[in-house]
Amino acid sequence: MRMRECIFPIYKLRCSLSSHLILLSSLELGNMNQLSSKMATISGSYPKGGQDKPQISFEDQWPKMQPTIVKLLRQESVNRPEWQDMFYSVHQVCLWDEKAAAKIYKALQENIAEFIGQAQQRVLAHSEDQALLKAYISEWRKFFDQCSYLPKPFIQVEVSLNNHPSNNSVGKKHRGDDSNVRKLMLDSWNNQIFMNIKQRLQASAMKLVRAERNGEAFDSQLVIGVRESYVNLCSDPEDKLKIYRDNFEKSYIEATESFYQVKATQYLQDNGVQNYMRYAFSKLKEEETRAKKYLEPASGSIQALMDCCVGVLVTAFKDQILAECPGMIKDNETEKLQLVFKLMDRVPDGIGSMLNDLEDHIKTAGLDDMKLWADVITQDSEKYVERLLELFRRFSSIVSSAFCDDPRFLTSRDKAYKLVVNDTSVFRLDLPTGRQGPAVKTQPESRCPELLANYCDLLLRKTPLSKRLTSDDIEARLRDVLLVLKYVQNKDVFMRYHKAHLTRRLILDASADSEKEENMVEWLREVGMPADYVNKLARMFQDIKVSEDLNSQFKEQYRLAKGPIGDSINIKILNAGAWARGSERISVSLPLELEDYIPEVEEFYRRKHNGRKLQWYHHMANGTITFSNSVGRFDLDVTTFQMAVLFAWNQRPKDKISYENLRLATELPDPELRKTLWSLVAFPKVKRQLLMYSPEVQSPKEFAENSTFWVNQEFTVIKNGRPQKRGKISLIGRLQLSTERSREEDNEGIVQLRILRVQEAIIKILKMRKRISNAQLQVELVDILKNMFLPSKKMIKEQIEWLIENKYMKRDEADINSFIYMA
Amino acid sequence: MAASGATNDEMMDIGGAELDNNKNEKMFTLKKWNAVAMWSWDVECDTCAICRVQVMDACLRCQGDGNRQAGGKQPECVVVWGECNHSFHHCCMSQWTQQNKRCPLCQKEWSIQRMGK
Repeated sequence: MRMRECIFPIYKLRCSLSSHLILLSSLELGNMNQLSSKMATISGSYPKGGQDKPQISFEDQWPKMQPTIVKLLRQESVNRPEWQDMFYSVHQVCLWDEKAAAKIYKALQENIAEFIGQAQQRVLAHSEDQALLKAYISEWRKFFDQCSYLPKPFIQVEVSLNNHPSNNSVGKKHRGDDSNVRKLMLDSWNNQIFMNIKQRLQASAMKLVRAERNGEAFDSQLVIGVRESYVNLCSDPEDKLKIYRDNFEKSYIEATESFYQVKATQYLQDNGVQNYMRYAFSKLKEEETRAKKYLEPASGSIQALMDCCVGVLVTAFKDQILAECPGMIKDNETEKLQLVFKLMDRVPDGIGSMLNDLEDHIKTAGLDDMKLWADVITQDSEKYVERLLELFRRFSSIVSSAFCDDPRFLTSRDKAYKLVVNDTSVFRLDLPTGRQGPAVKTQPESRCPELLANYCDLLLRKTPLSKRLTSDDIEARLRDVLLVLKYVQNKDVFMRYHKAHLTRRLILDASADSEKEENMVEWLREVGMPADYVNKLARMFQDIKVSEDLNSQFKEQYRLAKGPIGDSINIKILNAGAWARGSERISVSLPLELEDYIPEVEEFYRRKHNGRKLQWYHHMANGTITFSNSVGRFDLDVTTFQMAVLFAWNQRPKDKISYENLRLATELPDPELRKTLWSLVAFPKVKRQLLMYSPEVQSPKEFAENSTFWVNQEFTVIKNGRPQKRGKISLIGRLQLSTERSREEDNEGIVQLRILRVQEAIIKILKMRKRISNAQLQVELVDILKNMFLPSKKMIKEQIEWLIENKYMKRDEADINSFIYMA
Repeated sequence: MAASGATNDEMMDIGGAELDNNKNEKMFTLKKWNAVAMWSWDVECDTCAICRVQVMDACLRCQGDGNRQAGGKQPECVVVWGECNHSFHHCCMSQWTQQNKRCPLCQKEWSIQRMGK
């Protein structure tokens, strides 16, 4: 068994070793097996051999073996029988003569020493370093090759030697690399040649590398050979790479370092920082390739060298390089930035300052842009959102093209962009503090969420914009809004405005695309808007559908009872909880034509439902009226309030009616009447106004009690510069649903809700923690609320005080900065 | 017309003659009206005393169910009135009556007067 184990690797070697040993190519496993069994037979039944006197002795066999050994060492051709005989003889001798193994070993040693002696002479014949190196490498190559072959026939020797009790290493398999003979060969080489000239070899190898760095070509095998000598000649079994590391690697790294210390500084001085960066980058690449060639792989040398290169090429000039960064970001020099990034990414703490540069840039560039466009974008939410998105794309493209979308840079972009979005210097939204009395303002906030909501409205409502765009365009833009929304701190403001717009669209049937409306709700849910806000929106859709059914039932019933009514009345009866919480109702005295419908609807509804009461929300209602004058007939879309005002003229078409009398006729509250009248005398989109008035005023607030109003008998719709006899025009505008007070109330409502949310969250945290420090409470509070808004320190403080006052919690007596939950 | 005061009546008389000349057609005629009304439960107290949620909203239990459903759809959660005229979410009250057959607010024996629909 041992035989076969030992022979088997030889067979395998046949496939992998170089071909100059022709004899190996014909060796086959079958032969070897035959051979071994033949040998077993011979040794087992040798007829005349006495047990004590071996017939086959070392002295007999050695002369047969020696010439082959010498041939092998010299790399001369050895034929197949000679090679096989070696195995046979060695085996035979070792079996018959128990001292033979040691003798063979010794004899082998002498032969090797003699051969190396000759090689040494050949090598040392060259006095010049380069030539010496060349000669050494060529000798070393040959010899090293032989180290793989020569030990093969002597496996039996190794077995015998290792079986010696003093050298017992059972279980340790002998591979080619570990073989004693190989070790003998390498050690001999090491002692006789390498030790003496290794410093010279190494020095000239380094010289070659240096020459290569300077652009001279040479045979890289020379350097590799020296390295291999270092690696393979190490006799320390614990750390085979020790000698290599302490000598070759060390001097390679030192040589590299000193080379670039000079070169890099020189290059920087001559060519400037930006060119230097390119230089450094290409050198790093070059050195890495070189290191892979000349340094031992899997030894960690390459990493060590690269660290050194980065140190001398990049870290040493870190400050100079980084100083270029802000300018490059500003000028959008992505290629150069990418270079800086790739260089700095290898330096410890190299990226940090770039992150800061990027953030600074986004902040200043973003805000500068906003300020530059302030006039336009404060007026036009579309332009505003477009600017914001433009900025976002600009910043994202820097991050992507210059910094390969590195997560650290993306985070910086997000951080800085958030600041731009939430900045209050261009837009502020002053939220009143609800109950804290007058003149106490909360921190101003960015109007961004409000403008985003307005922009959504432009896209979702039937507007010139939404008509111009394709469905996909609108969807893409809505997605953009959601993208910006992610950065908005106070999402509750957005939701509130979005809801108000949605209410208007649904009640006025002004949605451009109802499918998109509902998609938007789901998208808002997907981007993590608080569920209760989103659910409210979903509930509105649900409710509007219920109302549509109700409307058709009502019309059907009305038709059966009173004859056809066509489209002359539509009713929307909605759930007050979903639509109108907290919104005020404005009373108006309806024209008779409308008032007649009221009891019909109420009666119909009473029959359908139980326990419900109806309240009319005329400020949300609207309709179409036909107006006839001397020019022609026109269909006007108007609000119910406008209708009430205009119908006052039905009995007296040519009269001038005073403000006071209009108030008496309509019973509208003063601010609403002013606003309604203003919309009829100064509607922005029409060339000829429906109502005329006197005296001239600049704003609805300036109407006096005795201001008079009359119907413009020359009113007409102007199309292509020509007055028309027929026409349809809407006078509703954005007027409806936002009553004078409701805007303020909206903002107040936001604050009220925030107060409740803060209280709720504080209690939630305390309930869980029982006892918590002030600092920790603030952190957790922000975490809970950040999806809706960022609570101000002041608001938190006030709410904590309120909760303490109302005995929900108390301060810890021992530690004034801690709070305790009181059940 | 509820709005007409004395002053308007006088003015109307003056304008009336001219109007007749105009083929008896009014200057403004109604073509279409989209009326809007809001309904709410006809209750004295708009908060359900059991779950402390406004009666116009679904009770907490139903809201929870609704949130778990896709799309956040809320199931119908109606109001119930007792003979004592106190009102609660029907869901809340039916839970309550399993334990206690009295109105939680006035302690009178609970019997349903009417149910919201």
